[in-house]
Amino acid sequence: MSEMQEKTEADKHYLRQAWLILFLSVFYGAILVGVQIGLSGRIAENKKQETYSQIPTLVPGAEPTATKEFLVRGSNGKESRVYQARNASGEPMGWVFPGSGAGFADTIEILIGLNADMTRLTGLYVLNQKETPGLGNYITENAFRDQFHGLAAQEKFLAVAGTPVGTNQIKAVTGATISSQSVCDIVNGTVAQYRQAALEKATHP
Amino acid sequence: MEHHLPTASERFINGIFPENPTYRLLLGMCPTLAVTNSVQSALTMAAATTFVLLCSNIMISLMRHLLKPHLRILVFTLTIATFVTVADRVLAAYLYEMSKELGPYIPLIIVNCIIISRCEACSSQQSAWVSSADALGVGLGFTLGLVSIATVREILGSGTWLGLTILPRSVWEPWGIMVLPPGAFLTLGVLLALVNFLSTRRKNS
Amino acid sequence: MDTLVSLLLLAISTAFINNFVLKYFVGICPFLGVSRKISTAVGMGCAVTFVMAIAAFLSWTFTYFVLRPEAPLPVWVWQICGGDPGTTIDLSILSYLVYIFVIAASVQFVEMYVRKFFPPLYKAFGVFLPLITTNCAILFACLEILKQLQDPTQLWGLHEALVYSMAGGLGFTVAIAMMAGIREELEMCDVPQSLQGVGIALLTAGILAMAFMGFAGVDKGLANALTADTTAEMTASFKK
Repeated sequence: MSEMQEKTEADKHYLRQAWLILFLSVFYGAILVGVQIGLSGRIAENKKQETYSQIPTLVPGAEPTATKEFLVRGSNGKESRVYQARNASGEPMGWVFPGSGAGFADTIEILIGLNADMTRLTGLYVLNQKETPGLGNYITENAFRDQFHGLAAQEKFLAVAGTPVGTNQIKAVTGATISSQSVCDIVNGTVAQYRQAALEKATHP
Repeated sequence: MEHHLPTASERFINGIFPENPTYRLLLGMCPTLAVTNSVQSALTMAAATTFVLLCSNIMISLMRHLLKPHLRILVFTLTIATFVTVADRVLAAYLYEMSKELGPYIPLIIVNCIIISRCEACSSQQSAWVSSADALGVGLGFTLGLVSIATVREILGSGTWLGLTILPRSVWEPWGIMVLPPGAFLTLGVLLALVNFLSTRRKNS
Repeated sequence: MDTLVSLLLLAISTAFINNFVLKYFVGICPFLGVSRKISTAVGMGCAVTFVMAIAAFLSWTFTYFVLRPEAPLPVWVWQICGGDPGTTIDLSILSYLVYIFVIAASVQFVEMYVRKFFPPLYKAFGVFLPLITTNCAILFACLEILKQLQDPTQLWGLHEALVYSMAGGLGFTVAIAMMAGIREELEMCDVPQSLQGVGIALLTAGILAMAFMGFAGVDKGLANALTADTTAEMTASFKK
């Protein structure tokens, strides 16, 4: 009985006790609104630049500001963004496909540059990777990435430890054949999934 | 409760070594281990933690007379989470690469025991001036802890310090395991033993 | 079938390859603090897994419907209040605040529920529940779910969030139980004085982490074995 009374007594004080919390919530809310208004534009710009700043190197002759972004549905039903790179006068120069997949340690995220009809690779850039330092993380170096330049996108790429033979072989990073093969697989998988969808977008925008 | 409360300078000194959060109190182990693979990320992490510690210590200290005992943890959490969000957004806006590398460890400052323990032990009892001295002392102690581990790991693991080459590849083959997770455990374990050893020896002599 | 395979791969990679404790260092405090006896370690692991699954469910729900960019609920409220339909509403700045309170609330509820309906279970791991609120592993799982709900083209479903959190909890339990087993043996050993306690525990954890590095690449190999060859898909995409 006395417990009940204490409870109702406490109820009356809830508001009196909680005013500090309510006041703080409003105050902190105001701080967060300020931060959001002040910085969200900049953060969004940073995220966009991550991809856009790479477009001229991935597709030679492209002007990043002229890029057109499409949302396409791949052959496995998953949606993805693809970027149609254009030159300053607005002519399509090629495509950039973002791709990701399992690497040796964690997910690898890459950007793939393709020519206008998506038959040849024009460049490769590694956005995010957490491969073994000193071994697998050399997939970000030019020596590895530049090998893809000019290869036919139709090939099924194979990372080999020795000297590459044929048009579909890539020299793997020393001691990191799995990381290298992962990049090859991501390139193949991404192109296979989104090529048709991107072609359709290009012809019927 | 009539005991002597430490002064500002005592608080400041106390945080740096006698109660160093990393080596003495073993608090905040998660960032200590996770972000110390390079000195740069260790410094960024330490700066973000010190910022949150300073802001929340000052805020809590300013309202210490209004705090109700059973609501204080709620107020602490609200304050810390707000300032962590601010720190996270500022990093994403101005140091995007770093914020991507630190990833979830910036928001994880919310559950870093260092901050809530300082709110409880110091700023809910003492003035804003003493609390900020305390925050800076503990922040500096935390920075020293992180940077000492990061120094060992970065020099041994990649031959550099803050990006500058210390051990060129011709003399030192980078000891890759040091920048990987096991290196964090091993380095902290050995450094901890060293600190224990030195302080016992000093006490004995 | 593909969904099942991808869930299996997600579970394996979360529990073993990207182990919460040994790779991401979250949940280190209980890992070092509550790992002296196997029975308590397993109790702690179960409690964490339990709370993590509930927190993941709640945080996925909040994030999916309210907090993520393009979330349906704020847009709907905005339009009912007569706002301009084209406005983008992004409440993700509130996510950290929401998560920490979701975790605190779910710990409270789990504690009350277990105490009322499963007294033996409460006896087994009830004492650990209050400690879990500040366990960074739970918040880490919520943050990972938030990360996976950022890009509107590749959203995690609830099933993925649940599998992720439970596999994460399993990984935590495995790590802490192994650690406890080793530490029980260490009691008998003559450890140098300065290394006693946390020092030797950290060195042991380092060796465990090295052992777990051996799992790297397992998911890649399994994926190759279990998923269909992409050659047919490639030919299809180049047929014109």
